[in-house]
This record gives sequence, C-alpha cells and structure tokens, in this order.
Amino acid sequence: MLPLALRREEDFLEQRVDASNPPEEPHASLGSLLVSFLKLGASSFGGGMAAWTYREIVERRGWMTDENFLQTQTIAQILPGANPVNLAVYIGLKLRGLPGAIIATFAMVAPAFTVIILLSTVYRQLSAYPETHSVLRGLACVGIASTLTMGMKTARRLHGQTLPILIALSVFIMVGVLRWPLVPVVFASIPPSVLISYLLGRDKKHG
Amino acid sequence: MDDDKLLGLVLLCVPLSLVSFGGGQTIVASLQHQTVDVQHLLTSRQFTDLYAISRASPGPSTLIVALIGWGISGFWGAVIATLAIFIPSSALICIFGSWWQQHRLSPWGRAVERGLTPIAVGLIVAGGLAVSQSAGLSLFEIATTLAAAAFLTLTRVGPYPVLGTVGALYFCLSAAGKI
Repeated sequence: MLPLALRREEDFLEQRVDASNPPEEPHASLGSLLVSFLKLGASSFGGGMAAWTYREIVERRGWMTDENFLQTQTIAQILPGANPVNLAVYIGLKLRGLPGAIIATFAMVAPAFTVIILLSTVYRQLSAYPETHSVLRGLACVGIASTLTMGMKTARRLHGQTLPILIALSVFIMVGVLRWPLVPVVFASIPPSVLISYLLGRDKKHG
Repeated sequence: MDDDKLLGLVLLCVPLSLVSFGGGQTIVASLQHQTVDVQHLLTSRQFTDLYAISRASPGPSTLIVALIGWGISGFWGAVIATLAIFIPSSALICIFGSWWQQHRLSPWGRAVERGLTPIAVGLIVAGGLAVSQSAGLSLFEIATTLAAAAFLTLTRVGPYPVLGTVGALYFCLSAAGKI
C-alpha cells in the first residue's frame, strides 16, 4: 500500500494523463508509428484509407479503442485537410504528441508523394507523344467522374432538406460558375449554414 | 522568377488548406482558376494533365499541388507546395482536435458538422465543373465522364479498373488517330 498522500498524487497524475492522452499511449514507439504509417501510406491506392487505418491501429497494433478511433475518424473528416492525412496527424498526436503527429503524417504522405513524383517524371519523358495527352484526358474524365460521384454521395447527407440544398447550390454557383474566390465564399457561407443546421436540428427535436 | 512563382503557389495553398473541408476535391476549382487563369503558372492543357496524374495516383488528391510545385522548381518546389497544403490543416487538427472531440456532441457541434456538408457538396461539384471547363471536354469525353460516373455509382468496382479501362481505350483511339 502506498501512503495516502502519494496515492493521491498518483491518482491526480493518472487523471491528467487520462484527460490529455488515451491509456493506450505507452505501446506506440515513434519507430513503430513510422513503420505502421509508411505501410498505410503505401497501401493508399484506391482509397478506403479509414478501413486500412482501423485495421492497423485498432486491430493489429491495439493502440486505440474502437470508440477512440471512431471519434478520431469524425475529427479527421470534419476538420479541413485530406482525410488520411488528418487521421495520421490526430492518431500520431494522441499516441505520441507532436513528434508522433509529425512522424505519422510524414510516413502517410511520403509513399504517395514518391509515386506521384515518379509518375510525373514518366509523364515528362512521354509528354512528346500525342498518345500521352490523350490517355491523360481519358484519366481526367474518370477523375471528374469520381469527383461528381463523391459530390453526389456527400449530397445524400443533406437528406433532401431545402435550405441546405440551396446553400450547396449557391456555393456551387459562386465558386464554380461565377468564379468568386473560394476562401472568402467558404468563410461567408459557414455561419449561415451552421445556423440553419442548428435551427433545423432544433426543429426536429421539438417537432 | 521561379521564387516568385513558388511564393505565389505557397500563398495560394496556405489559405486553401484551411478551407479544404473534405480534402483536395473541394479546392480544385480554386487551384485551377488561380494557377491557370490568374497566376499563369500552367497552361490549361498542363493543368488537365497534372489533374489526371494526381487522380490516377495513390494518396490524397491534394497532392496535385506537389505536381504544380515540381513544375515550377523541381523537387524542392514539390516539397514546399506539399508542406504548404498540409501544414495549416494539420496544425488546425493539433490545436482544435481534442477540443472538438469534447464539444462535437453538443447541439452546436452537431450543427457545425452538418452545416459544413452543403458547403463541401457545392465546392466538390464546382471543382468538377472547373476542371471540365478548363479541359474543354469534347462530346466523346463528356460521354466518357458520364459513363464512368454511372459505373462508379452503380457498381462496387474501385477506381483503378475504371482508370485502366479508360486509359487503354483512349490510348488505342489515339494510336488509331480517332481522337
């Protein structure tokens, strides 16, 4: 048995640790974070990154609980930035603080960065051939298609509500058709859009 | 000259990073407009090519800025552009992540989560339009886009088989002199 005063201090320390870091923190060394996220970064072909990350971080390494991971995923989706990168930042931060965040993010981006640079080098070598540009135009069509598909999938989350649809439409017109600068449009659209969501959410609760 | 261009790209990336709700696809409209029409860092043909490469590559579509940076000043241009697009949003996660985790279940937290969705939808579709217009799609290419979109929506096939098929088709048509 520890003396009472000492135990209190220990409890206090434990609470503080609990508040800022999840208990699974001690398992993750910076080296193993690097390895895990390099692997994840290299497997980021074709998306589905959240699922791969879940498999590695929760199931294989046991660094996070289910619930913690789900919360992390929501944060990664809602804050600006690419989802897989945000996941790496936040998981690294929770497991090992700032150094963890930097290492996980670097490891997540480095493989894709390398591939994209290699591809662009190949492109430069082949850009003299007319076929290269044709093939890339075809790929751009698929890229646009997947962008539109993603837009439609995200639009389903508007649940057919009139005002949010009008906001989506007006943002599209301002940025896509009128070519107004994106950053001010977004900042100006956030307050009314959030307010509308708040009021709609409240209506739903009361009605 | 190159330094000025690189600075222009960095100054473009940093604010975009902070509003890239949902990732690279939400900011592509602005990237296209700024790099092609305003700052003249790229021709629209180059932009279409780089867009295609970035969409066919693994990893976040945000990495198109690495390609633009590489075009301006090689390897370090790519590194600097990548840092400029990822550091601001990552810093936001570090600063607000835990705070947000505590407050996201409050009524206002939920309202923020839901309120960002329509903005992201508008931006994503605007990005699709910006790239289509910049590329000046032919009727055949519009048909390709619609077919690919239908395929991606209706089937569970991933993007790589679709990219491979369309790439092969366009190669054959181009080699045969049909497009």
